[in-house]
Amino acid sequence: MRLKFRTEGGLAFFPGLRAPIEIDTSELREEEAAELVRCVEEARFFERPEGPEEPPHGAADLRLHTVTVEEGAHSRTVRAYEPIEDPALRALIDALGALAKKLGRTRRTHDAEEDRP
Amino acid sequence: MLPPYVLREIARNGSPAQRDAAMHALASDGTFRSLRQVTPPSGAPGMGIRGALDPEGRKRRTIYDVGNTQNLPGRVARAEGGGPTGDAAVDEAYDDLGATYDFFREAYDRDSIDDAGMPLDGHVHFGVNYTNAFWDGQRMVFGDGDGELFNRFTISLDVIGHELAHGVTQYESGLDYMGQPGALNEHLSDVYGSLVKQYRLGQTAEEADWTVGAGLFTEKVNGVALRSLSRPGTAFDDPILGKDPQPAHMDDFVSTFEDNGGVHINSGIPNRAFYLAATALGGNAWEVAGRIWNATAIDPTLKPDTGFRRFARLTARAVASLYGSGGPELRAVREAWGGVGIDPT
Repeated sequence: MRLKFRTEGGLAFFPGLRAPIEIDTSELREEEAAELVRCVEEARFFERPEGPEEPPHGAADLRLHTVTVEEGAHSRTVRAYEPIEDPALRALIDALGALAKKLGRTRRTHDAEEDRP
Repeated sequence: MLPPYVLREIARNGSPAQRDAAMHALASDGTFRSLRQVTPPSGAPGMGIRGALDPEGRKRRTIYDVGNTQNLPGRVARAEGGGPTGDAAVDEAYDDLGATYDFFREAYDRDSIDDAGMPLDGHVHFGVNYTNAFWDGQRMVFGDGDGELFNRFTISLDVIGHELAHGVTQYESGLDYMGQPGALNEHLSDVYGSLVKQYRLGQTAEEADWTVGAGLFTEKVNGVALRSLSRPGTAFDDPILGKDPQPAHMDDFVSTFEDNGGVHINSGIPNRAFYLAATALGGNAWEVAGRIWNATAIDPTLKPDTGFRRFARLTARAVASLYGSGGPELRAVREAWGGVGIDPT
């Protein structure tokens, strides 16, 4: 399973955090990969609306998450603004966020230096 | 229903369950109590004499603890009149929403977000290691930070002022949160946020640091704040966060689809114009420059789709009606916009 994860928006724009993180579960430790697969299943990811739902009128500084999951012939992208109240989607995004933090720093740093907005 | 002083006593000294019940009662009771307090005498107009009717204002703060979930609103942790809790995020939100309310009331005679005494609801401990603060259309929400790059988001008064000011913009111009109008929406929140801090510290335009979010970064980050109004583009330059992307002049305007069309990026341009105007005029920035910008922010002709140039023109028009056209104020404002490449005529 391949996943792509990106978070935009928020109180400030940080170029170093803008590049999406790409994850191939075959490159993860077994338990990390299993956790992600479980989160994708519990979030019923391939049945979810693509979103995002419009944020409330007047809202500002909200963050927007974009998650793409590819598995075999299936591919789906789901976008959601915070707060994310659905615990299953929340769990998936939290897991991706934690992995992004762990895996992504060097890659992101590299991207940010080459490609500023 | 118990009177508020009894509820406050219970909130301070009761058992945890009593305390929660008292807090909820205090929070929900506030609406009706203050409606009674401000009912104008018959025949009196509702607007314009608020100060005379209610000289103490109607500050009604409620701080909720979201308990590291994302399920708003959370539990009431401190209601108006309640004492310090010892929870830094709760107490900072309470104090700084109060300071922001006082600033708007004292500097611009504005009674809360909607200028009609709207309760101020702050929600802290949102999410887990959550590195953001936002305005959701009715309340302000603050994360604890991750402790690695970001401290808790209540740590900076100007960030709290920034979020509250998004509410003010929602109730005034309703500037679209996209492209140039969105960058102006962000700009106004940065201006008000910075002015709240300058007002509380009693700093002149010369003395102010002109940043938003000083103290928010941990010591591991190479940066001083989220943004600089005086020198946009210089607030941070860090291996992980990247370099502050804000332009300071129209020549460097960033066209992008990211960040709602660069709302937190291109706000650097009007931010610098405000800084230039405030320092050219001298003294306390909230008194003349701030008054001009506030008059523009509440100008009914400031439409939701207003871009930079029209906004600049409206500031010049506000100067003319506040100070006339022959004085140093108009020159300072025109030169400030000229300094960032925008023609305000």
